[in-house]
Parts: sequence; C-alpha cells; structure tokens
Amino acid sequence: MTLLPEPAVAVMTVNEVGLDAPYNKNEVIVPMWKQRLKIFTHNKLAVASVAYLVLITVACFLVPRFHPTNQTNQALALSAPWNASPSWAHWLGTDGSGFDELGRILYGGEYSLTLGILAGLITIFVGTLYGMVAGFFGGVVDGVMMRILDAFLSIPYLFLLITLITIYSRSTTFLIIIIGITGWWGNARIIRGDALLIRQLEYAQAATAMGASKWHIIRRHVFPNSISNIVTTGTFAVADAILALSALGFLGLGIQTPQTDWGTMLQNGTATIANGYWWQIYPLAMVFILVIVAINYIGDAMRDAFEVRLLER
Amino acid sequence: MFTYVLRRLVQSFFVLLIVMLVTFTLPYFQPGGIVAPAFSVLGVHASPSAVHIWAVQNGMEHPFIVRFWNYVVQVFGHFNLGHSYKQNLSVWGIISLYVPRTIWLAASSLFLTIIIAIPLGIFQASRRNSTADYAATGTAFVLYGMPLFLLCMLSLQAFAFKWPHLPASPPDGVSPWAMFTDPVGFILPVACLTLAGVAALSRYMRGTVLEVLVQDYVRTAKAKGCSSRRVLMRHAFRNAMGPIVTILGLYLPGLIGGALIVESVFNYSGLGIQTVNAATNIDIPTVLGITLMVSILTLMGNLLADVMLGVVNPRIRIEGSSR
Repeated sequence: MTLLPEPAVAVMTVNEVGLDAPYNKNEVIVPMWKQRLKIFTHNKLAVASVAYLVLITVACFLVPRFHPTNQTNQALALSAPWNASPSWAHWLGTDGSGFDELGRILYGGEYSLTLGILAGLITIFVGTLYGMVAGFFGGVVDGVMMRILDAFLSIPYLFLLITLITIYSRSTTFLIIIIGITGWWGNARIIRGDALLIRQLEYAQAATAMGASKWHIIRRHVFPNSISNIVTTGTFAVADAILALSALGFLGLGIQTPQTDWGTMLQNGTATIANGYWWQIYPLAMVFILVIVAINYIGDAMRDAFEVRLLER
Repeated sequence: MFTYVLRRLVQSFFVLLIVMLVTFTLPYFQPGGIVAPAFSVLGVHASPSAVHIWAVQNGMEHPFIVRFWNYVVQVFGHFNLGHSYKQNLSVWGIISLYVPRTIWLAASSLFLTIIIAIPLGIFQASRRNSTADYAATGTAFVLYGMPLFLLCMLSLQAFAFKWPHLPASPPDGVSPWAMFTDPVGFILPVACLTLAGVAALSRYMRGTVLEVLVQDYVRTAKAKGCSSRRVLMRHAFRNAMGPIVTILGLYLPGLIGGALIVESVFNYSGLGIQTVNAATNIDIPTVLGITLMVSILTLMGNLLADVMLGVVNPRIRIEGSSR
C-alpha cells in the first residue's frame, strides 16, 4: 500500500537514471509526456483520485439537470418535507428548506468546483507571471516586487476577502476574481525562486551569449524548466480556492441563495447540528474532504511526474 | 548582527508602508467612492449636502496623496489609527481590547503547533513509508481537507454537548486578564486551531527533514558512526530549522485567518469578529486599523523568528552582515 509517492530525492542515483550511458542511435526515445504519464499512473492513489474527481465533476455538472427534484426553486421546495431523513424519494434526505440533499450537493458542487478551477487558473497565471518577472530580472526590480509581495503576504487573506466582498460585490464572478487575486502570493514566491535559479544556469547564460532576448529566454528556458512547480502549486491552489470559498460560506459571504456552494451548505447543516440531522452534514463533508484530499494527491503525483530525475531518458 | 536587524527593520517599515498604501487605496474603488460609508452612517436617504458635510468632517475633500500622507503621519507620529464612523470611537480604542485576546489565542495555538508538528515531521521522515507515517499523513490530509469551521462545530458538538466535559466557549470578559480566569474554556478553540495548523504544516515539516536527511553531511555523520538519534537531533533538526522558520512565517497570516473562524464559532470576541462586524458595516477606518495591526504583528513575528534563527545559525549572521 502506498499512500504517498516516494520523494524523488532519495529514489535514483545519477547512474540509475543513465546520465552517463552512451547515446544509442537505434534506441527508441519515448516521448516525455508518455514517460510522465507512466510515472503518474504508477501512483495508484493518484489514479484513484483522478477517477473520483472525474466522477464527482461529471455528476455535479450533469445530474442536477436530470435530477427528479428542483434544486433552486424555493416555491417548489416548500411543498417538499423539511428536514426529512433519507428515504427512497430523497436518498440523502432533505434540508431545512425542503431541497433534496443529494441534488443540492451536486448542484452546490457545480459552483464550488467551477469557482475552484477558475480561481486556480487566475492564481497560476498571475503568480507565474509575477514570479518569473521578479526572479528573472532580479536586482532592483526583484527587490521592489518582493517587498510588495511581503506586504501582501503579511495581510491575512481571509480578512482581505471579507473586506473586499462586503465593500464591492457579492456576485459569483467577483468571488472568482477575488479568490484568484488573493491566492497567488505563495505561488509567486516559489516560481520566483525557480526563475532566480534557472537564469544563472549555463544554458540560460549560453542563450544570452547567443543574443537571445530576455522575453525569449523566459519563454523558452525559464518557463519550461519551472513547469513542475507551476503545475503543482496550481493544483494546490484549486484546493485552497475551494477551501477559501467554504470559509466564506461559513461567514455567509459565499454564493448567494437560491444558488449554493458546499461551504454554505455545510454551514447550514452545522447550524442545526444539535437536532441530529446527520444527513445534512456527513455525506457532504465526506464528498468535500475527499475532493480536497484527491486534489492534493494529484498535485503530489504531478510533482513526481514532472521530476526530471525520475525520467528514463 | 546589528546591521542585519537594522536592515530587516527598515525593510519591514517599507513593507508596512506598502500594506498601508494598498489598504488605503482599496475603498476608493468601491461603488460610490470613498463617501459611500456616509450612507451607512447618515442613512440611505441622506441629502447630498449632508453627505458633503460628512465628507469634509472626515477630511475626505483632500486629494489622495494628502490624505495618505496625513494617514501615515497620524499612524506613525501619533499612533492614531483613525476614528470609527460607525461606533464613534477611536479605532485604537476598539481594537486595543481585542488585540491581546487574539494574540493569546493565536500564540498558544502556534506554540502547540510547533511543539507537535516539528517532532511529528522528524518522526515521519525517520520512519518514512512505515504504517505510522502513512497514518499520520492520512490524518493530516483529512484534517487539511476539512474546513476549519466544520472541525470546530463537530468538536463543539462532541465534547461540549454530546459528552459535556468541556465548556463551549472561552471566558468572554473584556478586561485584559479575564481570559486567564477560566483556562479550561480555551481547550476546545486552541485544540481546533492547533489541529488545523499541524495538518497544514506537517507535510512541509516531513518534506523539509527528508531533504536534509539525504544531504552529504548526514551520510558522513552516519559513516563516522553517529547514532541515528544524534544524526536526527544534531544534524537534521538544526539544519531543517531554517526552512521551518520560513514556513512558519508564511503560516502566520493563515493562523490569524483561522483565529477569525475559531472566534466566530466559539463566540470569543477578538480581532476576527471585529473585522467581520466592521466590514459588514462598511466601517473603513476600523477595517484598515485591524489589517494594519495584524500586518504589524505578522511582520514582527517574522522579524523575531529570523533574528532568533540568526543567533542560532552562523550562516545567516554572516550573510546578513556581508551585504
């Protein structure tokens, strides 16, 4: 049983990877993406995580359209029994407004997952760009950009989120933008470290000597060589965005009714925890926690898949 | 060492200025501009002249640069964080009550997090891929995936209501020392915040120690016959301290954010609840004041940790003084 992949550092020595093996013309070179896929699929837990995430995503985006109950119309929900325990009519019972819990979980997942992925994409884009520019140019540019980043990193992002959402807007679009915008600081630091390292490596210096423009070096050398950290931190950013949205849902600042998200639903479920309506909390909590854990496992496996030292060459 | 501390102090001051610039600029972009809070103070039907008088009273007729300059001078020259529109009190008067309370909650949780997460990381790294390692990682993953408020609510339900052994809420007196009158009340909130912290940090700790364990000097020490306990304590732990302190520094704002959730669940009035209240009332000066306060606390925590690390680790001392 492997819960976590072996860390790359201790796994292979240089000889095992074959760095000093003579070049053989007849050797079939396996494309890099295939090798990466092989390393990724070697981690059974990561494969299971992908399967689970695909299942949940498909269910969240398709099932609410065919589900026998209505997920948003409160007038229709009011005619259904409130807080009913699970039965054949409502597999996971109903919530305090009469919505079918199963349908609502999948419907809320649509919002949580969409927001997580879009905010994660914003995080990857902004964080990568900022980190690369700071790390690559170095010197004064890096100093100023890093002090600005330090300033952001010293503000608890939850405080900033609450303030921005209450002052500006509570629309879903704004939530996506604002969670994405407040999420990239840690990523930028990591990517900046990569860029600092790569720009002083020999191939980057050789490119400079041959007259390559700075933009060319960033695009062709720095970016491909820090892709491992970009993808990995990006994956974790999706999980963090979903968690941030759930914290906002707890404070009543998440997706507004009649739409919903997982955080808001968990908050509604735990508000009546003393009444013993377990079906309003535990099924959703399990789905939610497993989604976050699965995303994290995928991130770990991706880190291994992009680890050059594990490639067969 | 002295130049290092001085350099870090100057840097922190500039970082603080950037924080102030960012937070001070944000209200300018809200719908209705910076006079928007006038309508929450004077009522939604306030006449334009009343709004104008209110704006003049609050010094809002000046251009941005002048206002920001006044703000900086007031904060650093007179330790005046401004005046709350909504509560008609000085911002410092509002938050001075709650700063020690939040610090107490966050600091005790941070202390416990450190003394649990670091040994756990060393243990997991030294017994890599054992059943205990998998169990710890699995537990940490589940705790990390659980929203903090859910963890708080479930433990509250379990230990305060179902098996009522612990009080549901910490003591809530406003005098500074009231929080020490009933320490039992802090067990649940601090435990929840600590669990979340350990879950967030343990994987970094494990990774950091693992990376140190494959270094050449560790192999050399082993080759020379150093016992594994001594390798872990004298070589791995001391060298892992640097990255660990960096990670802890990055974790501080997250800790304060977690404290906000814990305060809300356990009804412990601190900076977090005050922020939520102030933000809902669009009480901009209070929000700015609290954000600034938390930033100062974070920066001070980072500075303190780095200086202490510099005392322990000669490499940092030399790096700092050579620049």
